[in-house]
Amino acid sequence: MAADEHTREGWEPGPVEGEQLTEVIERAFDYRGDVTVVRRDGAELVGYLFNRNADGPRPFVQVFAAAGGDPISIPYAEIRSIRFTGRDTAAGNSYAAWLRSREAAKAAGPARGV
Amino acid sequence: MSVPLSQMWTVATYVLKQRLRRNRRYPLVLMLEPLFRCNLACAGCGKVQYPGHILRKHLTVEQCLAAVEECGAPMVSIPGGEPLMYPDIGRLVAELVKRRKYVYLCTNAILLKERLEEGLFSPSKYLSFSVHMDGLREEHDEAVCRDGVYDQAVEGIREALRRGFRVTTNTTLFDGASAIRMQMFFDEMMDLGVEGMMLSPGYNYSKAPDQEHFLRRQKTHELFSKMLSNPKRRWKFNQSPLFLQFLMGKWDFECTPWGNPTYNMFGWQRPCYLLQEGYASTFKELMETTHWEGYGHKSGNEKCKDCMVHCGYEPTAINTAFASWKGFKATVEATLTGRL
Repeated sequence: MAADEHTREGWEPGPVEGEQLTEVIERAFDYRGDVTVVRRDGAELVGYLFNRNADGPRPFVQVFAAAGGDPISIPYAEIRSIRFTGRDTAAGNSYAAWLRSREAAKAAGPARGV
Repeated sequence: MSVPLSQMWTVATYVLKQRLRRNRRYPLVLMLEPLFRCNLACAGCGKVQYPGHILRKHLTVEQCLAAVEECGAPMVSIPGGEPLMYPDIGRLVAELVKRRKYVYLCTNAILLKERLEEGLFSPSKYLSFSVHMDGLREEHDEAVCRDGVYDQAVEGIREALRRGFRVTTNTTLFDGASAIRMQMFFDEMMDLGVEGMMLSPGYNYSKAPDQEHFLRRQKTHELFSKMLSNPKRRWKFNQSPLFLQFLMGKWDFECTPWGNPTYNMFGWQRPCYLLQEGYASTFKELMETTHWEGYGHKSGNEKCKDCMVHCGYEPTAINTAFASWKGFKATVEATLTGRL
């Protein structure tokens, strides 16, 4: 099954709390694109959410901001929502596309190079 | 087998020390990923799919050395991404060699000749270029989704050997691989003069573009049995013979996910090189807080069900060689006779 069939690119779950928030964070952690983390005070952070830890007394996510800098930790309690705003870099069927272009190149003649 | 004696001795004494200390969980090879950027986008790889700002980042040499120190493993593998695109690769390798770490620099070799001509590296028994080669020209170029890469890699290997470097190859096998073609590939690599070859079945990364061609357990046993049941004396493998026998179905091993811990810009990756279930900020935290019992073939974890990859099972194979007379005897026999 191609990876792109599961993309959440463009998903905007809206304000979430409790188990729903945990679920959205899990999706964002699994997402290979930038997201926009919306804080309860309305501030937004665009970046790559690369880690989350729900086990400790103060669960948090870690984000590399698209603007650069060191990782930023944000407590679950401060998150209102997460929007899946960046391109899903794991989506797409590059392998299938490469096979198609390779076959086309072969059919076109002996010169290779795709 | 082709692992140099000094390296065997280093690994053997390290493992024995860990066993004497009754240390149940210890690392053997640190998988150090200084960057995710790569000049290829291989169909079976799930390591490089990140936003541009992540691909432009990399660890500093100091961060890498701190991780090496923290982990303490005697061997360091530098995958990626493509490590030859790391701007400080020469300094990083020199520092690791100075610390007497056995370094496997895992590269697709597209840039190898160029980097060697720049004088970035010096030959050392501690440094081996581990060149990604997924079979003969046709199979390799298909696996890396670009024509001409096999020839570039061969050119890089020749240049490295000419300059006196240790060169090994690492080969990932997928469903549809031909045992006969692979045997031809082994001959070709030996003709080139590489020190040894490393083999592993691929892992079905959830983020890899091609999800259809990963080997399942039974097929892995069949393929490796066909390929290796009557090995030529001239084929040298730079890995534990027990691991190859495991792939042939002769051993029933369990995964050692902490054996090859992974460090990258996100931290210490849980639980292993292949799965990304979170990150610990220190190596100690990784070892002490990861729920290890939830991983491995017998755990019932769906993600581990078909995995037979070297990063989880080679540490088991090495440990088995020291944990039982049966394992020790089988290792010595295979090493001396070349039979698997």
